[in-house]
Amino acid sequence: MATQSTSEGQRAQSAGRVSRRRFLGGTGAGLLVASSGGPFLNHFARSSGSQAAAVQGQWMSTTCQGCTTWCPVQVKVVDGRAIKVRGNPHSTANHGQICPRPHLALQQVYDPDRIKVPMKRTNPLKGRDQDPGFVPITWDEAMSTLADKMMELRASEESHKFSVFRGRYSYLRDILYGSVPKIFGSPNGISHSAICAEAEKFGAYYTEGFWDYRDYDLENTRYVLCWGADPLASNRQVPHAISIWGEVRDRAEIAVIDPRLSATAAKADEWLPVMPGEDGALAVAMAHVILTEGLWSREFVGEFNDSVNLFKNGEAVDEAAFTEIHSNGVVKWWNIELKDRTPEWAAERSGIPADQIRRVAIGFAKAAPASISWVSPGSCMQARGGYAAMAQHALNGLVGSADSKGGTTQKTKVPAETVPDVGPYQDEIAKKHSKEAKIDQRGTLAFPVLAKGKSGGGVVTNNVADAMLAQDPYDLKVVIAYWANFAFSCSGTSRWEEALSKLPFFAHITTHASETSYFADLVLPAAHHMFEKWSFLKSKQNLHGYSTLTQKVIEPMWDVRQDETEIPWMLAEKLAERGFDNMLTYFKEQFADPETGQQPTNSEEFALSATKFFTQACWNSEHQDYGKYGDRLAGWQDFVDKGVWNSSRYESGKKWGAFGTVTKKFEFYSETLKKSLTAHAEKHSSTVDAVLEATNYTARGEQAFVPHFEPALRWGDEGEFPFVFFEHRSRLNREGRSANCTWYQEHKNVDPGDENWDDVLKMNPVDAKRLGLNNRDMVSVESPTGKLTARLKLWEGVRPGTVTKCYGQGHWAYGRVATQDFHKRIPLGGNNNQILPPEYDRLSGSTARHGGVTRVKVVSV
Amino acid sequence: MTNERWGMVIDLHRCVGCGGCDISCKTENNVTEGFHWSNHIIETRGKFPDVNYRYIPTLCNHCEDAPCVANCPTTAMHKSDEGLTLHDPDLCIGCAACMVSCPYGAIYRNDEKPHSRWRDEEVAIAGCTSSGKEVAEKSGEEIPHYNAERAETYKGIRPKGIIEKCTMCDHRVAKGKDPWCVESCPSGARIFGDLNDPASAPRKALAKHPPRVLQKEKGTDPHVFYIRDY
Repeated sequence: MATQSTSEGQRAQSAGRVSRRRFLGGTGAGLLVASSGGPFLNHFARSSGSQAAAVQGQWMSTTCQGCTTWCPVQVKVVDGRAIKVRGNPHSTANHGQICPRPHLALQQVYDPDRIKVPMKRTNPLKGRDQDPGFVPITWDEAMSTLADKMMELRASEESHKFSVFRGRYSYLRDILYGSVPKIFGSPNGISHSAICAEAEKFGAYYTEGFWDYRDYDLENTRYVLCWGADPLASNRQVPHAISIWGEVRDRAEIAVIDPRLSATAAKADEWLPVMPGEDGALAVAMAHVILTEGLWSREFVGEFNDSVNLFKNGEAVDEAAFTEIHSNGVVKWWNIELKDRTPEWAAERSGIPADQIRRVAIGFAKAAPASISWVSPGSCMQARGGYAAMAQHALNGLVGSADSKGGTTQKTKVPAETVPDVGPYQDEIAKKHSKEAKIDQRGTLAFPVLAKGKSGGGVVTNNVADAMLAQDPYDLKVVIAYWANFAFSCSGTSRWEEALSKLPFFAHITTHASETSYFADLVLPAAHHMFEKWSFLKSKQNLHGYSTLTQKVIEPMWDVRQDETEIPWMLAEKLAERGFDNMLTYFKEQFADPETGQQPTNSEEFALSATKFFTQACWNSEHQDYGKYGDRLAGWQDFVDKGVWNSSRYESGKKWGAFGTVTKKFEFYSETLKKSLTAHAEKHSSTVDAVLEATNYTARGEQAFVPHFEPALRWGDEGEFPFVFFEHRSRLNREGRSANCTWYQEHKNVDPGDENWDDVLKMNPVDAKRLGLNNRDMVSVESPTGKLTARLKLWEGVRPGTVTKCYGQGHWAYGRVATQDFHKRIPLGGNNNQILPPEYDRLSGSTARHGGVTRVKVVSV
Repeated sequence: MTNERWGMVIDLHRCVGCGGCDISCKTENNVTEGFHWSNHIIETRGKFPDVNYRYIPTLCNHCEDAPCVANCPTTAMHKSDEGLTLHDPDLCIGCAACMVSCPYGAIYRNDEKPHSRWRDEEVAIAGCTSSGKEVAEKSGEEIPHYNAERAETYKGIRPKGIIEKCTMCDHRVAKGKDPWCVESCPSGARIFGDLNDPASAPRKALAKHPPRVLQKEKGTDPHVFYIRDY
C-alpha cells in the first residue's frame, strides 16, 4: 500500500498539479495514513506537529446546554482533545442537526479565561469597584472554609440562612439544589426559573392545565403564528425548527409578532411589529375576529344551539344559547372580555393595522386545526404578562389546534427516578429550619406566584436581592450559587450588586469569573457541562421527548469539579469531618450504582452513580418502566454510546376531554385560575380584587378569570424618556455565557441588525434623523433605574419610537474577549439588565424582562 | 473517463442565516480569527414596516475561469482535475495577486503568524486563570481544538506570508464525505456533489430551480450556485 500510494503521489506531483483522482487512486483513507511520510504528501501533510496519520478519534455523545433545547450532540475527541461538534445522529428530536451554538462550546471549554483552580477573596471589602484580590487555594481549603461557615449556622440555629442559588442545571439538580439545603436545614433552594419563562407556563396552565412548554407539530402544520417566538434562532427546539423550516414555508403561512425583525420574522409571510407589551391586545382582538367571523372549532368548542352565530361586535350573548364540548366558558369570555376588542381597537394600541390583525386571525383560524399559536417569553415575560400568555394560548383552544395534528401538543413521558427522600436524613435542626419561609417572599399577598395552581408554588428569583437587602423574612448568611450569574442576568443588577456585597459569605461555582463571582468569598471552578460532566437532561422536540446524557468526554485541563455532584460530595465530606455526616450518608446510601449495587466512595464515583441512578429506566431492562415509553437501550454502555433515549412519538388528541384543568376542559373561563386566586386571597384573608390591586393588574371582578388585555406597564415618564426599550435574544448566545468566545464576536451579525464585535442599540433611521444622531454614534441609554453606553445602529427592522438591543453583551467581567478592558472592568457595550427595572408578572413570579417595561432616553456621548 | 466536477448549490429558501457554516468551517479548517473561508452577505432593504432581510452564505466559488488562478505568478493557485480551486502553500509567495483579483473577497493573507491568541502569555487573573499559550501547550497542539485531518491535503495551519482560502474541504471530499459546512448546515440548504453527474443532488436541484451565481458579469463561471429566495 505504502509503495503504491507513494508512486501515485509522485505521479501526481510530476504532473505539476494536484489531481485528487489520481492521488487517491481509489484506495481511500488508508492511503493517506500509510503514505504520510512519502515525498509527495510532505507537501500537504505537514502541520503543527501532527502527522496526518494520527487523525483518528471518536465521536462521543453528550448534550449541548447552550439554550434550553438541550440537544443531543456528539463531540469528536482525538487524543483526549475535543476538536469539533455535530448533532447526535441517534436523536429523533433534532434529526442529528445542531444550531450554531454547540460549535461555540469548543471555545468555552478551551477558554484561557476559565478559572483553573479554586480561588479566594483577600479583600474583605465587596463591591463592583473593589478588587477582590483573588488568590489560588486548594480544594481542601476551599471546602473546609465553606463547611466551617455552614456549621456556624447550625451551631447558632440559623441553618435556614443558608441558600443555594441555582441558575442553569441538569436533572441532577435535585442533589445540590434540592437535597443539600433540606438535609442541612434550609428551605432555600432558589432557582432561576422566574427569570426564564414561567409566565409562558402560566398561559398554558390556566387554559389547558399544563405547566410546561408545549411542543409543536411543525411537520403537519398549515399556519404558524409566532408570539415573539424566534424558533430559527432561540428558545426552543431550534435545530428541529431550522431543519424543517423549508418545508414549513412550502406548506404553511408564517406570521411573526415581534417588535424587531427577528430571524424568524425575516423568513415569514407576515411580520407584525407590535408595540412592545401590547401582545395581549392583539391576542384578544384575534379571538374577537375568530368568533365574529364564525371560525371557531365546532368540533372542539361547540356551536350555537340554532347554528346562528350570535358573536356580533359589542353584543353580549346568552350563555344558554351555546352548547360547549371540550372547552369551558367561551360565551363568558366573549361577554367579559372579547365583545368590544375589535381589530380597530387593538390597532390603536399595538401599532398593527386592523386589516393585518384580521387577515392573520382569519388565516390562522382557517388553517385550523393544523395551526399553531406559539407563545414565547418575549410576548409574556412582561409586567402583567400572564394574562397575555393565556390569551395567546387560548387561540389554540378557540380553533381546536390544542393537542391536534399540526397544532400544539403537550409532552411524552421520559422516565427518570425522582430524587430519594431526604426525610430520614434530616435531624431536628434540619426538620425545624427547612420549614421556615423561603427567602424570596413567594406566596405573600403581593407575590402570589401561582405555579401549578398553588399560592407560592414557584420562585420569585429576582426578588431575592430585595428580600436580602430588606432582611425580610430574614437575612441570608451563607450562599452557594452555581451556574448562575444573577448580578448580570437579572434586571435591576445594581440591587444584586448591593445584596451580594452585604452577604457575609458567598461561594460561587462557575467556569468563569463572572460578574457574580466578583462578590464571592470563594470561587469554585466548575467542569464544563458539555465536555467534562456526567449528568442528564430531559427535553422534547419534534413530538419526541428524550433523555440525553452529558458526559465527561475529555479530561479537564484544570482542577475543576462537577458542580451538581462532586462539589456537594466534597462539601458533605467536610461536614462529616465536622460531626454532621447526614448528607454524606444520604449520598452513599441513596445513590448506589444500580448495576453493581456499590455505594460511591468518592466524588467522581458519585457523579457517575447518580447519573446512572436517575436514568436507569432508560437502559436497565429490569426496571419497571424499561421500554414502556420509547427506546429499549441495551444497558448502560449502550446509553453511553448512543447518548440519547428517544420516546415514542406524541399522539395528539388524547387530551381532549382530559385536560389537567378543574373542569378537564380547555378553559376560556378559567375555573382553575379562579380556584387558585381565591385560595391565595383566602390565605391572606383578602379578596381576589384586593390581590389584583396589590399585584398591579388592572382587571377586577370576573375579568380576573379570563384571558384578557392588560395595558403595558412602563417605567419612566414619556417626556423625559421618549423611547420604549426592549431587548431580544441572540442565536449565538449560550445563555449569556458565550460573549468571551471570539467566534461569537466575529459572527455576531448573524443576528439581524447586529454588528460583529459590538453591542449595538438599534434605532429606526426616522428617529435618529429627528434627534440628529448618526449611525455608529456612541450613545448613552438611560432609564429611570440605570444607564449604559452602546454604539448606535440605524436599522429599519425596528419600530419607530422603540429602541432595542440584544441580551448577552455588556460584560464587565467574565473574560478578556467579552470585555473591552477586563482589568479596568470596562464592558464591551452594556448589559441591558442595568437599565431594565426589577418589574414582575406577579401572578407567575416572572421577571418582566420583555414588553418594553422601561422607557429610555438616548443621547450622544 | 469524465472527472467529477465538484460544486455546491445553496438553497436560500432553506437557509435560515444561522452562521453554523461559518463557525463549523473554523473548527474543521483551523481558520484563524478574522478569516472567514465560509462567510455571508447580509442586507436589510425597504422601510419599516415593509422590510426585507436577506442573508447569502458565501465561500470560494471555485470558479471555472478563476481570476485568482490566472493571476497567480507561481501556479500556487490552481485548478484540480475535479474543478476545485486549490492552493499549494509551498509554491505561494504571498504576493496577494489572487486576493486582489478575486471578486468575492474569498482569499485571506497571513500577514502575521495566525492564531496569535494561542501564543499569548497574558492572564486575566494571576495564578487563577490561564493564558492562551498555557492552554495550547497543555493541549499539545498549536491550537487546542486543532483538527489534524485538515493537514491531509493542505497546511493544517497556514504559516505567515502566504494566503489561504476554502478548499471545499478537499480532504473530506477525497474520502467521499461532504464538506464540513454542508454536513453542519442544519437547514439542508447546502447541496454538494458532482455537477457532471445528472443524477447528483446538486444537478437535480439546478434542474428544478433556476440557478444564480454571484457577480455573473465578472465572467468567472462560479461553481457555487444559489437557488430560490431567502
